[in-house]
Amino acid sequence: MENSLTLACIPLFPLVGALLTYGVGKSSKDLAGWVATGASLLSFIFTLLTFQQLRALVGAHSYEVAAAGAHGAHHGGEAQVYRALEAPLFEWFRIGDFGVDFLFRFDSLTAVMCLVVTGIGTLIHLYSIGYMAEDESRPRFFSYLNLFLFSMLLLVLGGNLLVLFVGWEGVGLCSYLLIGFWHKNIAFAGAGRKAFVVNRIGDAAFLIALFLLIQHFGTLDFVALKAAFENTLASEALLTAIALCFFIGATGKSAQIPLFVWLPDAMAGPTPVSALIHAATMVTAGVYLTARMHFLFDLTPYALLIVVCIAVLTAIVAASIALVQNDIKKVLAYSTVSQLGFMFVAAGCGAYWVAVFHLVTHAFFKACLFLGSGSVIHACHHEQDMREMGGLLKVMPWTGLTYGISTLAIAGIFPLSGYFSKHHIVEALSHSGETNPYLGTYEAAFTAVITAAAIMTAFYVTRSFAMTFLGSYRGHAHPHESPVTMVIPLVVLALLALGGGVLNGMVPFQLWLGHTIPVGHVHSSESIGAALLHSWPGFVGVAFGLLFYTVLPQVPKALATTLPWMLGALRGKLYIDELYGAVIVRPLEGMARMLWKGVDQRVVDGCVNGTAAIVDVSGEVVRNTATGQLRHYALLMFAGTVFLIAFYFAM
Amino acid sequence: MNYDYSAYYVLLSLVLFTIGTVGFIVRKNAIVAFMCLELMLNAANIAFVALSRRVGNLDGEIAVFFVMAVAAAEAAVGLAIVIALFRNLETTESSDAMELRL
Amino acid sequence: MPLVFVILSALLIASAVGVILFRNPIHSALCLVVNLVGVACVFAALEAHFLAVVQVIVYAGAIMVLVVFVLMLLNSKTEERTLSGVIQLVLSGIIGGCLVSVVGPFIIEQWPIVAREEPPISGSVEALGKVLYTDYIFPFETAGFLVMAALVAAAMLAKTKGGDPNHPRISEGKNDGTIQAGGEQ
Repeated sequence: MENSLTLACIPLFPLVGALLTYGVGKSSKDLAGWVATGASLLSFIFTLLTFQQLRALVGAHSYEVAAAGAHGAHHGGEAQVYRALEAPLFEWFRIGDFGVDFLFRFDSLTAVMCLVVTGIGTLIHLYSIGYMAEDESRPRFFSYLNLFLFSMLLLVLGGNLLVLFVGWEGVGLCSYLLIGFWHKNIAFAGAGRKAFVVNRIGDAAFLIALFLLIQHFGTLDFVALKAAFENTLASEALLTAIALCFFIGATGKSAQIPLFVWLPDAMAGPTPVSALIHAATMVTAGVYLTARMHFLFDLTPYALLIVVCIAVLTAIVAASIALVQNDIKKVLAYSTVSQLGFMFVAAGCGAYWVAVFHLVTHAFFKACLFLGSGSVIHACHHEQDMREMGGLLKVMPWTGLTYGISTLAIAGIFPLSGYFSKHHIVEALSHSGETNPYLGTYEAAFTAVITAAAIMTAFYVTRSFAMTFLGSYRGHAHPHESPVTMVIPLVVLALLALGGGVLNGMVPFQLWLGHTIPVGHVHSSESIGAALLHSWPGFVGVAFGLLFYTVLPQVPKALATTLPWMLGALRGKLYIDELYGAVIVRPLEGMARMLWKGVDQRVVDGCVNGTAAIVDVSGEVVRNTATGQLRHYALLMFAGTVFLIAFYFAM
Repeated sequence: MNYDYSAYYVLLSLVLFTIGTVGFIVRKNAIVAFMCLELMLNAANIAFVALSRRVGNLDGEIAVFFVMAVAAAEAAVGLAIVIALFRNLETTESSDAMELRL
Repeated sequence: MPLVFVILSALLIASAVGVILFRNPIHSALCLVVNLVGVACVFAALEAHFLAVVQVIVYAGAIMVLVVFVLMLLNSKTEERTLSGVIQLVLSGIIGGCLVSVVGPFIIEQWPIVAREEPPISGSVEALGKVLYTDYIFPFETAGFLVMAALVAAAMLAKTKGGDPNHPRISEGKNDGTIQAGGEQ
């Protein structure tokens, strides 16, 4: 462990930026965006500096050993020593033996997260300057965006669970603020509220997990916890309970079944927000948490089984809903839910590094897709329905090209980034039975389902690409290419989506993460032919997508007419919102109404009003004694004195 | 051979005090009420002097001295208030000043 | 029971009752003068000579002059005897009677009449002065401040607000009201 000043500076810039932006925005609304972007960029630069420090600390020798290990097959990554930079700011509080420091810790996992958050954050800030150019309250927007960045950095830099939780709540708050950014639209404000409330459910479980940890382990610091877990005598039931509570928290934040319903609605926010918060960073917090708490999850194979079950189910359900959505952002939203399911599959299989790897590549191509969709929406004058689009490739070549690259990346086609991470997920799943006996039973079924989800993924993104960019224009606006501040982030992200796969080739991503989390065996690189063969789900999906939405448009229509119930169910998002409404919201409303009418209005208000009435009546009586006549007061005083004296003598 | 009649003097003091109090309650005129106040103070003074004699030191008489000083101050302020009252309400009756303000 | 006490107490009670029963304030004030002089006599009978003198000078001399002066100045009217006034008198008389009947026996019981050997203490000027300027010097000075503060306060309260300092009016408010009323007409 080594202290680092630059580390402490990383979250400082967005915090200062958030305040500054709002102040600057009073005088110049255009300057506000640049100030926010500058703060974000500074944060990214300091992350890079800290990253270099960490690399120096980790040391050349272990790095070389690791690099050598990448060439020799089956070299264990666990042997590496945990090293991290620290920035202990102050002791937060101390209650008896239990204390919490406000501590930042920067290890290899945090480094990856931090680079993603600040890097993509900066690009999206830059993009927002163009996207929000005509919005009246853009200083507020940028202020929130910087505040979000600050909270997210707290989340990933936090050296203990409580600091992480502060960031966790902070990003939730910023998410709420930004989803409801156009709060004059009641539906949008409602979407923000929904996200907030659904997240609270997960947060409650998160808090329970924290309390259980405090009660049984007496610490929330990650390093201390890890040490405590290594030879714990705690029962498996307790560990499973804690792990599941954390996972429920993660399902809230990372939009897994059953708490995923808020994410599609969250698309009400401005598109850069969807890209940054609801695709690249915040929603992956659950995955990060799982990876961070790997020492806990590793001890609870049963909890891991549940994680994988939920994740596989989420992946396939969300992917199938995405198949029929016509709103370009809704497609991407369900895609995000589905891809988060993929990440949790990896995490549930114990392949945390794969989850983080997919998190990174997903951040690249999904941010690019969202920004591309934002560019399209911006061009089509806030039209989001893909049926009103088409043929935009000709007028928006940059947007179309980058969107296409990201489409191929998310489809999992070799050699784009998505292939590498997805391939590892499938592989991790198919080998999960080796370490987790519970998973072994369902291994084949899960693998089949996740492969189907992968095919669907390729299909629906290709569909959205074809409907938006191919064919002829069906809308009424006059689309145009977006300004340069929007194109630059698109290009950068597309390049990252294109080349992100090398992270695990040239740069030993797996070994780098191995400094923090167990990474299992290092797989030797495969031949190009084998890789192309392994990306068959992507090819199948893309091929069918192109076929159905360019050459044979009658096929999906025929399918829709032959299977109307299925289409209806998928269009209706499997009626999950309605189900929650009937099972949870409606009874709660009924109960609230009962409490309101019965208990509050009758009993509580009755008590309050009754008290007031008693005081009122007694006041009416007693006020007669307060005549304002000096002599009356003197008489009463005299009588009282005489009474007291008489009382004294009577005693 | 002297006899000590302090009890009678204290009893006299009690009666005078009670008369003063009754007067204060009964009379509307602020100046008369003020005079009743003086009656009460004097009644207390009689008790002080009588008991001072009984106890055998001068503390009670000193107290009377201070009561007189306070009574003088009270007379000055009280009569000034009566004048101010009269100037604002054109009355010297305390029953007319019942709103706790001028 | 010495004769002087009987005479003095009769005088005191009679004059005190006069203070509260005379409806003309001037008569009340004259009764109070009698009462105050009576108290001075009581002090003298109790051998508090200094206090007796001061009583006459301060009360009968200064305070009563002030009171009578204010009575003249304000030209207080004779109070009317009203039913409620009688009721109040009876009511407070009953309460006062209660007080006397409760505390009186206690006083008799507390300080019974005893014969005493040694001569009683003397409230001479010398004796009182010694105590006042030694043990009680600080309260004495404080009393001085109190009286001065009262003088300043009385001056503040009694002075007229604004107006012509050469022609202080007692009832300035009335004059202002008349002017305003004239303006309205």
